[in-house]
Amino acid sequence: MKLVNIWLLLLVVLLCGKKHLGDRLEKKSFEKAPCPGCSHLTLKVEFSSTVVEYEYIVAFNGYFTAKARNSFISSALKSSEVDNWRILPRNNPSSDYPSDFEVIQIKEKQKAGLLTLEDHPNIKRVTPQRKVFRSLKFAESDALVPCNETRWSQKWQSSRPLRRASLSLGSGFWHATGRHSSRRLLRAIPRQVAQTLQADVLWQMGYTGANVRVAVFDTGLSEKHPHFKNVKERTNWTNERTLDDGLGHGTFVAGVIASMRECQGFAPDAELHIFRVFTNNQVSYTSWFLDAFNYAILKKIDVLNLSIGGPDFMDHPFVDKVWELTANNVIMVSAIGNDGPLYGTLNNPADQMDVIGVGGIDFEDNIARFSSRGMTTWELPGGYGRVKPDVVTYGAGVRGSGVKGGCRALSGTSVASPVVAGAVTLLVSTVQKRELVNPASMKQALIASARRLPGVNMFEQGHGKLDLLRAYQILSSYKPQASVIVAIDEDDVSVLSSLSPSYIDLTECPYMWPYCSQPIYYGGMPTIVNVTILNGMGVTGRIVDKPDWQPYLPQNGDNIEVAFSYSSVLWPWSGYLAISISVTKKAASWEGIAQGHVMITVASPAEMESKNGAEQMSTVKLPVKVKIIPTPPRSKRVLWDQYHNLRYPPGYFPRDNLRMKNDPLDWNGDHIHTNFRDMYQHLRSMGYFVEVLGSPFTCFDATQYGTLLMVDSEEEYFPEEIAKLRRDVDNGLSLVIFSDWYNTSVMRKVKFYDENTRQWWMPDTGGANIPALNELLSVWNMGFSDGLYEGEFTLANHDMYYASGCSIAKFPEDGIVITQTFKDQGLEVLKQETSVVENVPILGLYQIPAEGGGRIVLYGDSNCLDDSHRQKDCFWLLDALLQYTSYGVTPPSLSHSGNRQRPPSGMGSAAPERMEGIMPGRYNQEVGQTIPVFAFLGAMVVLAFFVVQINKAKSRPKRRKPRVKRPQLVQQVHPPKTPSV
Amino acid sequence: EERAVRDRNLLQIQDHDQPIPWKVQFNLGNSSRPSNQCRNSIQGKHLITDELGYVCERKDLLANGCCDVSVPSTKQYCCDGCLANGCCGAYEYCVSCCLQPSKQLLLERFLSRAAMAFQNLFLAVEDHFELCLAKCRTSSQSVQHENTYRDPIAKYCYGESPPELFPA
Repeated sequence: MKLVNIWLLLLVVLLCGKKHLGDRLEKKSFEKAPCPGCSHLTLKVEFSSTVVEYEYIVAFNGYFTAKARNSFISSALKSSEVDNWRILPRNNPSSDYPSDFEVIQIKEKQKAGLLTLEDHPNIKRVTPQRKVFRSLKFAESDALVPCNETRWSQKWQSSRPLRRASLSLGSGFWHATGRHSSRRLLRAIPRQVAQTLQADVLWQMGYTGANVRVAVFDTGLSEKHPHFKNVKERTNWTNERTLDDGLGHGTFVAGVIASMRECQGFAPDAELHIFRVFTNNQVSYTSWFLDAFNYAILKKIDVLNLSIGGPDFMDHPFVDKVWELTANNVIMVSAIGNDGPLYGTLNNPADQMDVIGVGGIDFEDNIARFSSRGMTTWELPGGYGRVKPDVVTYGAGVRGSGVKGGCRALSGTSVASPVVAGAVTLLVSTVQKRELVNPASMKQALIASARRLPGVNMFEQGHGKLDLLRAYQILSSYKPQASVIVAIDEDDVSVLSSLSPSYIDLTECPYMWPYCSQPIYYGGMPTIVNVTILNGMGVTGRIVDKPDWQPYLPQNGDNIEVAFSYSSVLWPWSGYLAISISVTKKAASWEGIAQGHVMITVASPAEMESKNGAEQMSTVKLPVKVKIIPTPPRSKRVLWDQYHNLRYPPGYFPRDNLRMKNDPLDWNGDHIHTNFRDMYQHLRSMGYFVEVLGSPFTCFDATQYGTLLMVDSEEEYFPEEIAKLRRDVDNGLSLVIFSDWYNTSVMRKVKFYDENTRQWWMPDTGGANIPALNELLSVWNMGFSDGLYEGEFTLANHDMYYASGCSIAKFPEDGIVITQTFKDQGLEVLKQETSVVENVPILGLYQIPAEGGGRIVLYGDSNCLDDSHRQKDCFWLLDALLQYTSYGVTPPSLSHSGNRQRPPSGMGSAAPERMEGIMPGRYNQEVGQTIPVFAFLGAMVVLAFFVVQINKAKSRPKRRKPRVKRPQLVQQVHPPKTPSV
Repeated sequence: EERAVRDRNLLQIQDHDQPIPWKVQFNLGNSSRPSNQCRNSIQGKHLITDELGYVCERKDLLANGCCDVSVPSTKQYCCDGCLANGCCGAYEYCVSCCLQPSKQLLLERFLSRAAMAFQNLFLAVEDHFELCLAKCRTSSQSVQHENTYRDPIAKYCYGESPPELFPA
């Protein structure tokens, strides 16, 4: 409960709250700030500002010494012959350090001076200096702020302290996510999001969203709300007999899109269709959505905003229906989710190719912490995820309509989504030839015009920040003709079809993270880039012939091989093109950059042609650039077993950490680029090369790798895999296995009743699939137990936390085994009794005695490697274990530990029984498909709001959205689909 | 929570006290159509159905929105893949089959018993073609446990009953 409370503080500006949240992502960066007495009060920072005459802030594109800054400014001003200027001294402790800005005073020829300043290559921008008047006050909840007041209440946390703390990180090159350059100067905060995005320019041209039908799927809207002039229809699809919004979410969202007064929306004249699909109790069901979506299709809705989503992309009826909707020309805009900063947290339907998925930024252009990110996980384990969100826009402290009028500020991707939906609505109304507007062409225009944020990778920002006016320009020159390519602007974006991402430069950091974080080499697993094809020509299309790889020979393009897999039909409006890149044998010891491009031609039925069978064609070029290095030695290469991990749970797979009751499902993909991202970055910084195995053990060449890393495996093993792995280990491959709990009594205890499916759910495994692992390990006389332990301890002077882990039941005599004293969590769960167990074996190290044999390491808990809900990381331990497995160096801190004990013989303890027969390959059987053919037994469907803070009565704001009906340790019936408040 | 479930089920129930004033016109043929334009089912991946009940491949769709009837594969009132319960494997065949003049009785009977959840939708439907487009879509009736289809194969239904629970 304590943790939950802390989450409540997300938007609170309290520094200690921030630090606590911060350490989930930036684990190592700073000392733990004590967080005593964090209350649930909201600290409001209010301020007003005035421009200071003659003074300007010059922002540089990097950090420079005072001397360098001075020379940049003087050289710039010299060319415009401004003499009367000076740098205003700043006397503070940071003066001695490089800075990215300078305050100057210019008393003459200001305009010319400013222009030349901005032209200087090292100067990013020049803004007037402002004097800020700030007052702090605590408030219990957000008070309604009158719209016409100049004061602004900032409800999101500034990320500056965090950013600054991360500067002290001594991390690897890929970690240079450009935090320096992404620092922004605080500036006066814009009061209206529509004006900030310059919607007023389009309003003045007479475009206000007229004749565009926009649907808001939300909590409803009251009948005579003063902000709206064109509410065409309100419908209710819930079991509550009302059309009104009792919560404020729907009103706010509708206001951002179409409010005409106070806090103005983007498209006040748009025809609003209000669909009430969420109750005041924040309940919703897939079936309500299905019926409501059908109505939206019938009503020929042009733009649909869905500030709601859920993790379950395997909810086939829902996913199919969204496809159907966009196939009927409904432009769907949806929130990417509020589960950041953890990776692997994209929500459906925003993660779909045909939907515009929107992430959030604050007014300083930082990605909002809450904004979900990381690749899509549909494609795992065999493939690689797509880039999402598509665009980002303001989602923190945005003002919109209150339930009964007035304005309020809210944060969340729930807020960012209607910003884009409103902008899209406005854009649609600017297009003369409406037939040119479709979900693909609109998305093309948005992503081609988006402004990339510096220092942020594509899995956080997508194509960048929404730029309404540039999108307008692109759309206004969008002239599709019935043939080949039409370039729309200097950016050379093809109108008819385009790709996302539009180029592949695996050397570009940080934008192309994680690709840029590890060069490729001969013998490595192919690097897969999953490109989305947008086809503006028609709802259906196909790739003509095959994608064609054209290496640039002078640029060593022949040093790579490129293979493709792609959608056979591009429908609706989109498809994927997965590009696998590997290094040719002749470049096995070569180092350098290889380049080339891929050409693809897309064809769609030409619906405007009277001749039948005619097709429109469009050809797109995708430049490719990769860095190749000589193959690293075997000892440096670590293979991550993805194949035996699960992406979205097909059944009920409880969390690895049983204390995390609010988030009981493992749904982040368990990939090194999602929730094991910190571990990956750590291994890279230690010089290891980490590759991903997305296929069975029988499919890799073990002589290439020093260590196979298996963390939290849930999948079964084929007999052929077991036999192959045994041979591999005999021949020198080492294993590091981080296991987790598995106890059938506890599993029975954590079963729960689900309202949606109206059935009892029994876990398919515990945290890990120990019976399967034990089968794999049995030949070495090793095995895990069905014990369930929890506790804090110290190992080799490191503080550690064992969160719902198991113990080692059996280990060879001549191995090294470390034990600890823990609480028996199994007993606690089953009988609510506390008992302490001494000498629990948790870590085992073993050298295969045969000549050239590998080494095996077992550890009973994986929580310390997993970014989700990790309390204390154990990357140091992983380092030590890899030293052992890769180089045979036994860490003295372990071999001479006081906790070393005789290895357990396994006598007297029964091996964990299997719940029931689980066939190998059962969970991941649709390898390589985008969406499974087989309907899974429904995992939980949950659609939730993405608003970080919303006030209903006196309820306290909650940070974590219960994404799912949550099973608890004590069986209990729970409300379905509870959106967080 | 039990109440919520019961309420949800209530949506599936029809209210006999308030007969719904349907406005669906079953006037078929060219009479109501402007010139030679056709509305069609828009969404299809491979197939498309026009308002005259013709199903064709997308490439055989004419600029006026009608299927090219001179192509041999174009079929009218086609019920391929439709089961006896009125559920079909493909949306386009469901619409085409539903447009058969003989289905009018069935559709009228369905409308007279339509559940509350469908009032909004079917009150807005103007004619036989719109009714078939709307009726054939998957809906709250198509799912069990919210997130799985009752029948993942034949899920598009013009008939009165929901898809058979699969496996039956």
